[in-house]
Amino acid sequence: MDAAVPPMVRLQGVSKVYRRGSVEVPVLESVDLSIASGAFEAFMGPSGSGKSTLLNLISGLDRPTTGVVEVAGRDLAQLSDAELADWRSAHVGFIFQLYNLLPVLTAAENVELPLLLTPLSRAERRRHVAAALEVVGLSHRRSHRPSELSGGEQQRVAIARAIVTDPDLIIADEPTGDLDRKSAEQVLDLFEALHHGLRKTLVMVTHDPNAAEHAERIHHLEKGVLQ
Amino acid sequence: MNYARLAWRDLRRNPLRLSLTVVAGAVGVMAFIFLRTVVDIFYSGAAVAQVDRLIVRNKVALTQPLPLSYFPRIAALPGVTAITHQSWFGGTISESQRDFFASLAIDPASFLKVYSEYTLPPEQLSAFQADPCGALIGRKLAQRYGWKEGDRVTMKSQIYPGEWTFNIRGIYDGTRPGVDTTALVFGYRCLNERLPENWKDQVGLYSVRVDDPARSAQVAAAIDGMFANSPYATLTESERAFQLGFVAMSSAILTAVKLVSNVILAIILLVIGNTIAMGVRERTRDIATLRAMGFRPFHVVMFVLVESAAIGVAAGVLGMFAAPPLLKGFMRVVESQFGPMAETVTRPQTLALAALAAVGMSLLAAVGPAVRSLRLPVAEGLRKVT
Repeated sequence: MDAAVPPMVRLQGVSKVYRRGSVEVPVLESVDLSIASGAFEAFMGPSGSGKSTLLNLISGLDRPTTGVVEVAGRDLAQLSDAELADWRSAHVGFIFQLYNLLPVLTAAENVELPLLLTPLSRAERRRHVAAALEVVGLSHRRSHRPSELSGGEQQRVAIARAIVTDPDLIIADEPTGDLDRKSAEQVLDLFEALHHGLRKTLVMVTHDPNAAEHAERIHHLEKGVLQ
Repeated sequence: MNYARLAWRDLRRNPLRLSLTVVAGAVGVMAFIFLRTVVDIFYSGAAVAQVDRLIVRNKVALTQPLPLSYFPRIAALPGVTAITHQSWFGGTISESQRDFFASLAIDPASFLKVYSEYTLPPEQLSAFQADPCGALIGRKLAQRYGWKEGDRVTMKSQIYPGEWTFNIRGIYDGTRPGVDTTALVFGYRCLNERLPENWKDQVGLYSVRVDDPARSAQVAAAIDGMFANSPYATLTESERAFQLGFVAMSSAILTAVKLVSNVILAIILLVIGNTIAMGVRERTRDIATLRAMGFRPFHVVMFVLVESAAIGVAAGVLGMFAAPPLLKGFMRVVESQFGPMAETVTRPQTLALAALAAVGMSLLAAVGPAVRSLRLPVAEGLRKVT
């Protein structure tokens, strides 16, 4: 990594402890991590190793118990909940294992959702949506609801939703976990295209070694410790 | 796409549940309007009471008479512009309860001067005043029995023995909504002439019109002062107070009815609250997804409130439109059992109160689910499988 270019993600001494009543459950312990801008990195590890917690901290969905989380040069601990929400809408795109599309909206409307938080006009939003659906090859399915799409198609809509605001960072939590091999390959090909073509920073959590192989770097987590 | 469309789509997520909730809410609104109107019926006499009218009755009890000789003495008092008298006859045309209606002996010459809310053609009034046993009937009563001018009605009284036959000389209407047109009134002379000596020249009460409502209390005091030490001492009160005295006799029932109407509001709250809570619980992951994308708690609360308010508005509007015809149908059934009743008018205030209550209850119902949706951490919500 070029030392002159600040990393997209920097974690320093990050720990996370959850409380279950009076019991403290450590999930992450002293994680130090740096992810370069434009990188595609994967995190692997057994269930309960803290992968998703790490992803939540990087994406500003959760706050560390101790340590510093810096993303795109911002110390997320310094942001209030409202500022964090605004920051996420501008800088982070999310892709989930179960797609998390709103079932009452069409594919295009789902993709348009994050744009409602921007000052874009309706016409501009439509243009952005069309471009995002074009990238994932689903322009022809724009009027379909999630229930009318296959799992792979739903995940591609979710990818279009994640990139429609042109975020700095794309967070993918088990993106192929619910897909068959062929659909999973299509999704991973898209990730590669986003990585190589659009120079997006991708951080992915996965159980699937095949999926992880598409990343530039693979991190292993074991009982909350980055190996 | 916009926020409104998103809320609308969410609202229609489960059309059957939405429809059932709206219908349940509407039924609640109807029941609320229904019960409130029943309460209003009790108060209808007081509602149409004139501020410039006083009622003079026997101080001992309403059932005790007053001498007819008081008429000119009260009429001569300063501030009194008109006076009339009336006596409850309690007549029925059959043994059946359903044929009961109000019947009174009145003074034909002065009655309409005091009760100007009744109107009828002048020639009918003249014919009524010329016939000692002439009678006027209200429009609603005429419609119920198909009676018309020239018909003869024979009645038996609960108070006065024998059969009494009256000649219908006219049909009166009300000059404004809410005026009772279910009564029969006939000339006092017809009654007085047939009574035994010790019952003659006595009336039930006097109705007095004053020139200035602000001086009503003074006039009332003057009337009562005039007869204070007589065997027939009077109690004079405003017409509204007099009518509310009747309402007070049913206060326990009215309190119960009002209580039930408030319970109905609570039921609306629970029905809509349950639906909203289910909807929010089902959408936990969607809400978490929206918040992950950057939607603020404010947005989520607004979605929940708008959704709930929409249900409340739909239930309120449906209930508002359905209640009046339902009430009319109910009153028809009541009248078929208990005789003609005063016109049932659902007050606009009652309709507005019901609709506002529906919206208010729905918003209140949404508060709990909205707060719960905000308390759930986003990361935890994203993992929910619904």
